[in-house]
Amino acid sequence: MSTIDQCPSTKGTLDIPDSPAKLAQMSGKPVWRSPEEFAGDDSFRGFVEREFPGGASVLDDTNRRSFLKVMGASLALAGAATVPGCRRPDRKILAYSKNVPEEIIPGRAMYYATALPLPGGGAEGLLVECHTGRPTKVEGNPLHPNNQGKSSAYAQSIVLDLYDPDRLKYPEYENPSRGKVAATWDDFKFWAHEHFSGYDANGGRGLAFIAEKVSSPTQARLQSELMAKWPNAKWVGWNPAEQRGEIEGSRLAFGAPHHARYRFEKTERVLSVECDFMSEGPDELYHSRGFAGTRKVMNAGDSMSRLYTVESRPTATGSMADHRFRLNPGQMAAFIGAIAREMGIDAPGPAVNGIEARHIAAIAKDLTDHAGSSVVVPGPGLAPEAYAMAMAINDRLGAIGSIVELFAIDDAMASDAAADLAALTADLNAGTIDTVVCLNANPVYDAPGAMGFGSAFAKAKTRVTLTVGQSETAGASTWSLNGAHTLEAWGDVAGTDGTLSAVQPMIAPLFEPAMSAIELLGFFADHANTDARDGYALVTATWAGRTNTTTDNQGFKKTWRRVLHDGLLAGSGSRPERASARTAQISGAFGAYKHPQLPANAALEAVFYTVRHNDGRSAANAWMQELPEFGSTVVWDNPVYLSPMTAKSLGLLPEHSRLDEYNPYTKQQMPQARLATLTVDGQAMDVAVWILPGMADNVLGIKLGFGRTETGRVGNNAGFNTYTIKPAGMTAGGAKIERSSGTYTIASTQNHWSLGPDSQSSRDESRHTIVRAMDKPWWDKYGDKVETVEDKIYGTPAASLTIAEQIGELSHTPANISSYDNPMNRSPEDAAVPPAGVKHSDALKRDMPAPYSQGPQWGMSIDLNACSGCGVCTVACQSENNIAVVGKSEVAKGREMTWIRVDRYFVGEELNNPEEMLIQPVACVHCENAPCEVVCPVNATVHGPEGTNNMAYNRCIGTRYCANNCPYKVRRFNFFDYAQAKLNGGLDPNYVSTGIANAYDEHVGSDRRNNQNMIPPRLRKKVEEIGKMQFNPHVTVRSRGVMEKCSYCVQRVNQGRQDAKISGTWSEADQIAPIADGLVLSACQQACPTGAISFGDILDQNSQVSKEKDSHRTYLLLGYLNTRPRTTYMMRVRNPNADIRAIESDPLAHHGGHGDDHDDHGGDSGTEHDDHGGESHSSAYIDGVKKYTDNGYAMSLNVLGTS
Amino acid sequence: MTARDPDQSNDARLTGHDAGSQPAPRPVKSVGGGKDDGTLIEDPGKRAPLILGDRSFGDVTDIVCGYAEAPIPKPWLALFTITSSIAAVGTGMILYLIITGVGVWGLNNQVDWAWDITNFVFWIGIGHAGTLISAILCLLKQNWRTAVNRSAEAMTIFAVVCAGIFPGIHVGRVWFAWMLFPIPNSNGIWPNFRSPLLWDVFAVSTYATVSLLFWYMGMIPDLATLRDRAQLRRARGLSRPFAIPMPIGTDIVVPFLPRPDTIRSFAYGIASLGWRFSSRHWHRYEKAYLILAGISTPLVLSVHSIVSFDFATSILPGWHTTIFPPYFVAGAVFGGFAMVLLLLIPIRAVLPNFSDLLTLRHLENMAKIILVTGTMVGFAYSMEFFIAWYGANQFEFEAFANNRVNPNVAPYWWAYWTMITCNVLSPQVFWIRRLRQNPLVIWLVALAVTVGMWFERFVIIVTSLHRAFIPGEWHMFFPTWVDILTFVGSCGIFATLFLLFLKFLPVFALAEVKVVMPQSHTSDDH
Repeated sequence: MSTIDQCPSTKGTLDIPDSPAKLAQMSGKPVWRSPEEFAGDDSFRGFVEREFPGGASVLDDTNRRSFLKVMGASLALAGAATVPGCRRPDRKILAYSKNVPEEIIPGRAMYYATALPLPGGGAEGLLVECHTGRPTKVEGNPLHPNNQGKSSAYAQSIVLDLYDPDRLKYPEYENPSRGKVAATWDDFKFWAHEHFSGYDANGGRGLAFIAEKVSSPTQARLQSELMAKWPNAKWVGWNPAEQRGEIEGSRLAFGAPHHARYRFEKTERVLSVECDFMSEGPDELYHSRGFAGTRKVMNAGDSMSRLYTVESRPTATGSMADHRFRLNPGQMAAFIGAIAREMGIDAPGPAVNGIEARHIAAIAKDLTDHAGSSVVVPGPGLAPEAYAMAMAINDRLGAIGSIVELFAIDDAMASDAAADLAALTADLNAGTIDTVVCLNANPVYDAPGAMGFGSAFAKAKTRVTLTVGQSETAGASTWSLNGAHTLEAWGDVAGTDGTLSAVQPMIAPLFEPAMSAIELLGFFADHANTDARDGYALVTATWAGRTNTTTDNQGFKKTWRRVLHDGLLAGSGSRPERASARTAQISGAFGAYKHPQLPANAALEAVFYTVRHNDGRSAANAWMQELPEFGSTVVWDNPVYLSPMTAKSLGLLPEHSRLDEYNPYTKQQMPQARLATLTVDGQAMDVAVWILPGMADNVLGIKLGFGRTETGRVGNNAGFNTYTIKPAGMTAGGAKIERSSGTYTIASTQNHWSLGPDSQSSRDESRHTIVRAMDKPWWDKYGDKVETVEDKIYGTPAASLTIAEQIGELSHTPANISSYDNPMNRSPEDAAVPPAGVKHSDALKRDMPAPYSQGPQWGMSIDLNACSGCGVCTVACQSENNIAVVGKSEVAKGREMTWIRVDRYFVGEELNNPEEMLIQPVACVHCENAPCEVVCPVNATVHGPEGTNNMAYNRCIGTRYCANNCPYKVRRFNFFDYAQAKLNGGLDPNYVSTGIANAYDEHVGSDRRNNQNMIPPRLRKKVEEIGKMQFNPHVTVRSRGVMEKCSYCVQRVNQGRQDAKISGTWSEADQIAPIADGLVLSACQQACPTGAISFGDILDQNSQVSKEKDSHRTYLLLGYLNTRPRTTYMMRVRNPNADIRAIESDPLAHHGGHGDDHDDHGGDSGTEHDDHGGESHSSAYIDGVKKYTDNGYAMSLNVLGTS
Repeated sequence: MTARDPDQSNDARLTGHDAGSQPAPRPVKSVGGGKDDGTLIEDPGKRAPLILGDRSFGDVTDIVCGYAEAPIPKPWLALFTITSSIAAVGTGMILYLIITGVGVWGLNNQVDWAWDITNFVFWIGIGHAGTLISAILCLLKQNWRTAVNRSAEAMTIFAVVCAGIFPGIHVGRVWFAWMLFPIPNSNGIWPNFRSPLLWDVFAVSTYATVSLLFWYMGMIPDLATLRDRAQLRRARGLSRPFAIPMPIGTDIVVPFLPRPDTIRSFAYGIASLGWRFSSRHWHRYEKAYLILAGISTPLVLSVHSIVSFDFATSILPGWHTTIFPPYFVAGAVFGGFAMVLLLLIPIRAVLPNFSDLLTLRHLENMAKIILVTGTMVGFAYSMEFFIAWYGANQFEFEAFANNRVNPNVAPYWWAYWTMITCNVLSPQVFWIRRLRQNPLVIWLVALAVTVGMWFERFVIIVTSLHRAFIPGEWHMFFPTWVDILTFVGSCGIFATLFLLFLKFLPVFALAEVKVVMPQSHTSDDH
């Protein structure tokens, strides 16, 4: 078009048409600015260009086109981040531009309450963070009685499942002649109506349903509706990892199946028998919170609970225990019997082999002495007789009803899944079933191996499977239907206590149309109606039905709105039942119980377990795959765990490792797991074997949920499918394991079995300083005292050391008192408001406000007494901060990206039987005197005015010097473009020799994968865009070559500061009040079920974090380096029973000097002085005070060997 | 070629003759002192000759220029093919790294530096001997330096080139490496002047610049000689036509291409910057040389001190050591001299006339320096260990005892003991005169020291990093094939550059060698 022609009128008469050309519309009517525009004449554009020459004339046609292309591309990209839903753009994307919902504030997340049904029953209440309509992060619902604002790792992870690009996207039909073909839901409905009509006549004969066992009232209602319609149909409620002990045990103890929940906040003494109540089961969050509350001693003399655990494999609960005993699962009944006998309950049974009788007596006495506040927690997988006996003990202790809360389990939930499935398998084999419908169940993968369900399933003529991701069962079905994710569909769920929650969708199904399980059930119930009832109608109908009202009822509508807002129906939880145990029957049954034989090398005992609710459903979830397993820190795999001694006697120790080493790396090689043939329940499979200190001897710890073959790129062939050897129950005796040829690479984040304090070597001291722990008597003695150390060298004010500070390395180095005022040093001492007239000055002698006196100053406190090492913080952080997953081969190289890691140390002299496990979460501690900041050549990591150590990703060039200089090793480097890579759990050929890899292929039947990261990005397969939808828009996605680390959730801090400013409660200029404590929660703090992490303004004297920092348990990790970390740790206090083990020697006497001055802090001279003779370091220090002030003096003594 | 009168006047130099011709060896005049060539004389009253073979000035010119002018020898071509292929592999590795990410190396979040910085410090260390010989020995009037200074300086330049590669490519985002330089930008962000890495940037770039200037300036008169000789040959019609060197068989003559002497007179002419051998030129040259020597001398000390600050200023046990600056400088001189010997001894063996200019005395002197600096390095090792124990810092003692020394618990004990064996024990053979006068022994020790010095850096970097303060994050370092090939490739780049230098540039400083010849001192008895 010419822009030279200035006057449109010279072009002749305008032919005005009757109807307008394409015109803009306003209020539904076309608008135009001129006849030319009305006519759609080209000349109008020329006119416009003259009118707006700056905007329109600059670009010629070709440039404008390319400009539009660029704009279009960036809009498309922006659309990917802002458009609700990540479907192909449809008309709904206009919603925000045309009619923005009133409550939407751009850039602010919306939180909606929902609930997450847990496998096997129970629920977690959730708040889901949604950014412009897409859920990005899951948080706990503070109103829900189970969570109370906390969340589990499984709940955190579901948001990643939602955006899994490998989800089934449309129904697939197996055409007899053409194989699997894509189909539509209309096809399915058309077919299903015809097919299922056939069953209306015979009452559903030959029809079977296998549905995941969830405590959903609507599913239960539809189940009974269907069963009424088709009375001859079979229904199997399926839970692959069902533990029968609790159901059968409580049936024995109370006459009916009950679920037990424990109110640990009322306890003083707890005995946990094979029960990981802190990190397993539907009530893990409830239990964690309650139990951790009894461990948070703040002052000397504070009461504290005592936990005994008896367990066969290391668990988070075991790491919290004051006394942990290893025992094989077969003897748990005998152990409970022994405890019962000590209490005078009739419990005939054998003696316990492996725990001394006097220890059992001591435990029983301790429990009895604290009757009313003591409880025995039996594991849900125990033998029913043992479980019942434990309940009898609880009855004797008066715990039932007060501490033990019993909730009746309905018949559908109490059904024996394995038995039901076995019966169905028999029917299938007999040919009496011709249609099987699987609803979110995957029995082809996770049925017990000996059952042979997979081959039986194939005998059914018609197999319909609804699945959210991909599944083996769907793959083996004639109809595979794409299911709606929990965050995409309406539903409901009841908690273990009966609290009703609504499950509401956060987003329309990404792969629309899709159906949830209840919608499909609703369709079957009324299959003539192809306009299937949607989930919303089904759920509201159920809820209205419960109160005998209708969904139109105004009262109901009001209640329902309230439910949607709160996420639950307040007060719907049932009261715990006040049952009493039928002791006589229990004793009788217990006497008749046949105790299993002691395991031996030739007949091992196998314990199957799942972690974090993952019975295989999270296999496609890279966060869960890469979350280190408790104890072993193994990722992406499920080797079979053996105790080191058992592995040694069976010849299965990992290659390149020796038992007598605390670190097996002296051979310059990665330890390689041996491959072995494992036979359980008559089924054999090849697995990798790994050692795990703390396992009971002759016990195999077998994790389930791995080795999936049809779950997508992430989870396929990661690990071993141990369901193939699983019997109906979760334990089995008589297992055999034999070494086969080949080795296998195991990736773990802590790939050594580091033992902690080891009195034989100098390692003692360095370990001691990192995780500090102390027996309670010493805490009670020294906890309130402060040792004041005058600094004679520099004449600067005295340092005061609390007990926690004294037992660390400060007892060996001079007090860290600087000889000059370092303006970079800002610590609480500096924060005091200076007296009038006194002004601080900076290095340039400018008058300054007192450094560090202006709030907020952020800090964190981690209570090692409360942390169980469950790892929720890691996943929550990963979800909040867009942290990449790196894959197995990269973890094996030590390149995991998690910003907060959970270190574990085994304590003791013996690798096979560690005395305890110490857990320590470590993230960036935000040093005030940060070593990383000094060394960065480009100023990419700098200090913020609020005390945080910040990363400027754009500025980072990746010299990695900061990471080298970080003593805490919390910095994470993007060695590759992890955020863009699609990872699998594949093996890296760099770590597996070809021969071994071939052997691996042969033995395990898996294909060898390359580390895709080693392939240049342009040659790599691109990630599907949908994965990016999970990203938190407030956090940068880091590129390759950039260092990253914990930011104290700076995006949340900024949001909180803005909120405080807007609400007028805080302003920078005049500090009206501190930012309210709790307004800013870091992601890890928010998720932590035990409240071990507190974060906030340390200048606010009322904040939780400053209270914790004032505690004498607080110490600085590696404080002697003068890094002044903002994250402090609270020393662990153990509460041992002196009848079981001697209280450790006086920690101050051991590490410090002794002599006349000792009375300064000790007060009374007594037993703690007894064992000074054997200590190795006492000779170095003669004078307890002088040791801080004159190290030359101390050193000279040391060198001269004078004492 | 004909033997010419040894007393040929300086004019003969200007006559020019066949490119690549070498003077015939002459019988050695015995100086007395035990050995037949007299260079190892121990009589304090007598001075060992620095040039053997009763050479005239013209002979020296012919020897040095002859090699630069000769047709490309087949063994050189073979070696060049090999080394340039290795260099190409190294370049390929660098490209692969840049395209794919630093993760192609075996680094991890605990060991964030490994072979990359090891290679950097190794090559920077190698680069020390050149400047030390050129500058410090020049200022100290050590005449024997004249035989080795040119090649040592060249080696310095090439080692710095190799060293410069690694910090450049080891960063995660190579394309932003310019942020290291203090370039004014719209964000107003400057580099962090507190960071030792930034000091490195300045120190290494200064060192590279000054070394290059020093080397190039010293070469100008010799380049002019080459230019003049080529021009004379052209004028006299002695120039050969251009021939493409063939690995086997005769070279292929290409008559229509410019003759090599034409190229030479053009290239050397430009490089010699119009040098006319005038007294004024010489006068200014001498001054400038001294000034540059004066500037370079502190650089010898500063560069490796600053490189050592990368470690010494950190807080990592095993790095945080005040002894590092002198210890690194001593180690650098040690490693640099070893590399000089490693290169020159084979050249001396292959090119017979070179051994007249580079005598056993030179080798022995350098062996003595190796012995001294090796012992200094050994002392530094022991002091490090002593202080780790005496300082009573558990973490530091662990870094030495349990990460390095103790074979039962330290995974890298073999690296530590390789370092001790090569660096501390092997040079001790030089206490025996017979051994330090044996070129083969010297060469083997030099080889051991070069290996040992690489391991020294590896030990410092990797063993300190792999187990630091918090055991929860301990990790081993395993090199990948990319790590290995990148290092091998850097050796290829170094060797390629050095071969090019050997072939095309004057390997000895002609004027300086002539100054130390007896003819220069006929009237000056000192």
